[in-house]
Amino acid sequence: MSGEEFESDMEYSDDDCCYEDYYNIEEDCDAEQLDPSKTDPEYFLYECLTVEEVERLLNESVEILSNTLQITPSLAKVLLHAHEWAIQDIIVKYRGDSCKLLVMSKIKPPHPPESVASRHLRHQVCPVCVASQSSDMFSSLACGHLFCKDCWTMHFEVQITQGISTGIGCMAQECEVLAPEDFVLTLLSRPSTRDKYQQFAFRDYVKSHPQLRFCPGPNCQVVIRAKEPWAKRAICNLCRTAFCFRCGTDYHAPTDCATIKKWLTKCADDSETANYISAHTKDVSLSDVNDCPRCHICIEKNGGCNHMQCYNCKHDFCWMCLGDWKSHGSEYYECSRYKENPSIAHESVHAQAREALKKYLHYYERWENHSKSLKLEEQTLQKIKTRINKKVMNASGTWIDWQYLLDAASLLAKCRYTLQYTYPYAYYMEPGPRKELFEYQQAQLEIEIENLSWKIERAETTDRGDLQNQMDIAEKRRATLLKDFLEV
Amino acid sequence: MTALPRRIIKETQRLMQEPVPGISAVPDESNARYFHVIVTGPEDSPFEGGLFKLELFLPEDYPMSAPKVRFITKIYHPNIDRLGRICLDILKDKWSPALQIRTVLLSIQALLSAPNPDDPLANDVAELWKVNEAEAIRNAKEWTRRYAMDN
Repeated sequence: MSGEEFESDMEYSDDDCCYEDYYNIEEDCDAEQLDPSKTDPEYFLYECLTVEEVERLLNESVEILSNTLQITPSLAKVLLHAHEWAIQDIIVKYRGDSCKLLVMSKIKPPHPPESVASRHLRHQVCPVCVASQSSDMFSSLACGHLFCKDCWTMHFEVQITQGISTGIGCMAQECEVLAPEDFVLTLLSRPSTRDKYQQFAFRDYVKSHPQLRFCPGPNCQVVIRAKEPWAKRAICNLCRTAFCFRCGTDYHAPTDCATIKKWLTKCADDSETANYISAHTKDVSLSDVNDCPRCHICIEKNGGCNHMQCYNCKHDFCWMCLGDWKSHGSEYYECSRYKENPSIAHESVHAQAREALKKYLHYYERWENHSKSLKLEEQTLQKIKTRINKKVMNASGTWIDWQYLLDAASLLAKCRYTLQYTYPYAYYMEPGPRKELFEYQQAQLEIEIENLSWKIERAETTDRGDLQNQMDIAEKRRATLLKDFLEV
Repeated sequence: MTALPRRIIKETQRLMQEPVPGISAVPDESNARYFHVIVTGPEDSPFEGGLFKLELFLPEDYPMSAPKVRFITKIYHPNIDRLGRICLDILKDKWSPALQIRTVLLSIQALLSAPNPDDPLANDVAELWKVNEAEAIRNAKEWTRRYAMDN
């Protein structure tokens, strides 16, 4: 896809406008509301490109730069790679002080090479292999350090086996001048090494390009392109991997990239502690088995919903805190919130450490529990499909009548995913009104998600009104939370 | 085994004919890529008076890759760890095929004269070197006396 086409994709498409005019003239404000870039906080424009498309894209930039500055494409590549592919920036700097730019980009040495007398000799000795050879067997980069071509080739081969490509430099000591692509390729003859060099260089180019990201899916070749490097969700159209465009890890809204990294590192470091504690204390429910808080019968959790009902005594309780579900009614839902000890600053260091661990465990358990619920709800989806099959076979409703249940399950997954990622966000928030608002919205989202999960697990009729309503509420809560707290 | 490259032969010859002061490097009888090295502790350093044994090996792709060097004699130094591994830029990312065995050994000798605790390999040593240099130097002298003398 060419740059211009991409440009027009990003704008509100002009062609569509004519259409819209035809249907709703003078309804501008309606159109405004429908514009997802304004209403959907997770809206993100990106495109999935193949390797060939990316090569074409990069080559266009190379061509523009080499034509504008009258330099070789190979040098243009070094410049673009060194300056995050900002063509205009490079052109301005080049026109300002080309020498300085070339030195900064490690194309030219900081000091012009001394004219060495040996340059004009017929034969000379290569400082690397110490063999005497005729002068036409030697070459050098802009720094003038002469080495024989065989040594250059060997140098490149060794560097390439170490995964280095755009970073290959001159062989002289303390010389930082880089070898441009054409210099490397004219001296590399083995096809397999040339291929490797070009693959590694391509990887480096994509990594240095602010608009491009490799799909993090295993063995996936797709490259995602977005105009703005925002921390938003991109989904690969080939392997369906969803990831944060900015940092490349699992999508993590409303938490930002730096915070999620901190959180995941903390969880990895402390996982043993957390597992140990949850295995050895009663009030924590990271295992899949718990006793009913009322009749103490053993209950295994086999669904995602955290609103549990004991099959024996019919007691309704919360899997997370084991408290009565009645106290999880909509307005004073408190299970997600961690109540900090207000006088902790005056307590002993020991008590503070215990409090810090308690706080971490509170958030970690909920984070982990929602992640488990997501997996259990995936199993529920399979059960739903079987259930629908049976229903349809028994002539209670048609396929179409039951579609809503699948939609509900996928919406549930989306909502619970966001809910899971609200916990690291809350963990790192400073106490204050903003945190209170966040935790209020988080609690609201959580209760609606558990209600939705409860209803999905028990949907027995094609009467979709109630469930549809629950879906709308859950999604609205999710959108509200993201709108208020998602920063990109 | 492939023939020894001309470069290695030349370097070995020169090391034998014009040895670097304070450094001896002798190739092993059975393997011309393996050198037995002895570096004398530089004057005015805590290592003065010591004789430090090292081993140096030239890998297959030398000089495109750096030689592998390791202290065999125990030494108390912030940039050398318990196994004798050395933290020196020219042995890693700053290696250049234009460098030689001779220059590498000279750099190691210089490292003994000027320890760099800000880029440590042996963390405990570097820490002490920073907070209590006098004690660190005392330790280094003690280790030199104990491990690098009369052998």
